[in-house]
Amino acid sequence: MNIAELKTELERLHSASFGWALSCCRRDHSDAEEVLQTVYLKIFEGKAIYRGESSLKTWLFAVIRKTAATEYRRKLLRTLRLTSDAAEVEHHSSFETPTATFERSEVQAHFQSALKTLPRRQREALHLVFYEDLSLREAADVMGVSIGSARQHYERGKKKLRESLAKMEVGYGNNWGRQENPSAV
Amino acid sequence: MEIIGDDKRIRALFSETRFVDEQTAPSFTATWSRAQARALKPRRAFNLSFAVATALLVFVLAGLALWSRYQSGPTMYTAFGNMNAVLNPPVIKSESDTVKTVDQPHIKVRRSSPAQRNALMLAAATRKAEKKVEAEAKQLETWQSPTASLLSSSSDSLFKSLPHLNESSTELKSFLPNRDNEKEK
Repeated sequence: MNIAELKTELERLHSASFGWALSCCRRDHSDAEEVLQTVYLKIFEGKAIYRGESSLKTWLFAVIRKTAATEYRRKLLRTLRLTSDAAEVEHHSSFETPTATFERSEVQAHFQSALKTLPRRQREALHLVFYEDLSLREAADVMGVSIGSARQHYERGKKKLRESLAKMEVGYGNNWGRQENPSAV
Repeated sequence: MEIIGDDKRIRALFSETRFVDEQTAPSFTATWSRAQARALKPRRAFNLSFAVATALLVFVLAGLALWSRYQSGPTMYTAFGNMNAVLNPPVIKSESDTVKTVDQPHIKVRRSSPAQRNALMLAAATRKAEKKVEAEAKQLETWQSPTASLLSSSSDSLFKSLPHLNESSTELKSFLPNRDNEKEK
């Protein structure tokens, strides 16, 4: 696949890639943009090469995931080393993005905070299955784990998410989870 | 049924998130062109961490070299100094009644090549050996047998003295007093 073809495919997958990058960056808008830019740079420079061993989407998502992890580690190191950087990070976090405005809506706020309480692998599995409509096998490929492991992350994540959403919505009188039928699990 | 319902609700929440993310996603063209610009931007040729590591390595190696040089140095200079002291013993000068100063041998600290050092050592050893031979010769010259006193007698002077040439017979007779005296008697 030459660079022009690849560019067309990347453009088609761009919004999904951005959503995945957002998920990998704990929904930090600027970080996600930075990660996506770095991924495109890697592809452009030939550091990330698609060999056709899996679908392009799976490969691209795996690259995004790895890049996001690397960027997160770098950011963490910078924060630990320089206090000024920490202040900068804090400043960025406090910046109100359009997504943040949306997430302030009640249900979404609960949902996002419930997602953030999940372990990274579980969050990733849920995102890939529910958000990206990938199969568990594809999700396992993206996450770099076996299908059995991906299934476990998915099931546990879903259970935890359901529980935390139920806890949050009890106060609002919503019928979420197994309040009426606990034996249905 | 409850689980399927939960799944649907989770999926709905994810879809809602996806919809908002798509609205807020940066354009592909902008991200791609920024990535391209980053690729074309000249990279920093000077890698700070690499430079620090190299400097540290050079510093350690230089330190080791200096240490090894000074470690072997003092032993050599001490030997050199002692040799000087043996060959040129210190001269004690009495400058006053109470204070006596000793002229320490001047140990010239200089760095010479191993060949020069060996030549110096050899010359010093030769000089020492010569002095030893000289001392032994002096001792041999003044040596006396322990039984030499037993061989001495009162007439040693007669045995050791010789008649002079052109001496008269009377004097010769007198040289042998016992015989002549007996004949005369």
